[in-house]
Amino acid sequence: MTVWITLLAAGAASYLFRFGPASLVDRVQSLGRLQRAATYVVAVVFTAVAADALVARMGAGPGSMLAPLGAVAVGLVAARRLGSSTAAIAAGMPTLWALTAVLPR
Amino acid sequence: MLALPRPQPAGADAAGRRRRARLAPYGAGVRAMAPWLPGMAMYGLVVGVAAGRAGLPAGAGFAVAPLIYSGGAQVAAAGLLGAGAAPIVVVATVLAINARLVIYSAAAGPYWRGTPRWWRALAAYLLVDPSFAVGYDRYRLDEPDCRAAHAHYLGAGLVLFAVWMSACATGALAAGHLPESLQLGFVVPLFLVGEAERRITSPAARRACLVTAAVAAVGRLAPLHLGVLAAVVIGLAVALATTRDETADAPIAAVAPAGTAAGNETADPSPETQDTPR
Repeated sequence: MTVWITLLAAGAASYLFRFGPASLVDRVQSLGRLQRAATYVVAVVFTAVAADALVARMGAGPGSMLAPLGAVAVGLVAARRLGSSTAAIAAGMPTLWALTAVLPR
Repeated sequence: MLALPRPQPAGADAAGRRRRARLAPYGAGVRAMAPWLPGMAMYGLVVGVAAGRAGLPAGAGFAVAPLIYSGGAQVAAAGLLGAGAAPIVVVATVLAINARLVIYSAAAGPYWRGTPRWWRALAAYLLVDPSFAVGYDRYRLDEPDCRAAHAHYLGAGLVLFAVWMSACATGALAAGHLPESLQLGFVVPLFLVGEAERRITSPAARRACLVTAAVAAVGRLAPLHLGVLAAVVIGLAVALATTRDETADAPIAAVAPAGTAAGNETADPSPETQDTPR
């Protein structure tokens, strides 16, 4: 039940973000600070969620620690070189599988 | 014997032309959205798999997509709920990720002035990065008469919605049938890393993301997943503290799809973070 209520609350609040400013646009005079924050918010939030997921996945053994780290490093390089997050997946996943298979757990 | 074309009544012909003319902007919106769709379908599939693997109650994994309708926020919500995070943390994280929608809404608002309330309600629901990018381009071309642009926006937004929902549902359904050894859950952090990397286009953004990653890693020890929120707040504070005020009045700019990886969050409202392929 809590899951459903949380999802409904998150959905309703997200919708307010979409609908509210468009409806109140005449009263909104300055969005300067908001714009500055919005410039960084996606990169920062994605980094936080990815780092959290990465650390959650890492175990104590060399395989379970180094495989995710190596995969992210390779994915990062691929994304930087090709400017595409698909490249990060295409390069990172095989790296993860290979390191998981090779390194002891 | 030669078959002669059946003569059409002049009235029916004119009505057909009017109908085609009325539908043409919707079709143009669909065509304008087409380059985004392959990337969005793949991303939606990944998001669906993440929701399916999060261990949410039956139906909730599917409901995440229509309720929140924003890729990164869907992934975060499903992941945090699956990990047992507190509701306030889930809602706050979703809102942090979706904060940019406030900017999009404020930018689209002047063009939506005078439209019926139901139309604005629907248009607002469809407001995500690709629909904003495609719609905003057309609004700027068409102003001050935005009637065709409204249809263009709706056509683009609806086709995106259909593709996104199908992809998420397919991913959620497939999640249970895929072997654990594939470690498909790791696709999401990789995707997020790739998306974040594409947005790091300034020293301030780089500093912010480095600090954010460090705080989030250490913050795993914090209860209720509060480390993620703390990392976001501290990261944004670092970014804002180290940028000059020149960016304060940066105009909102629409962004074209970048390569094959059009995420749901692939348009940033500042020129500093536009998706210029590198």
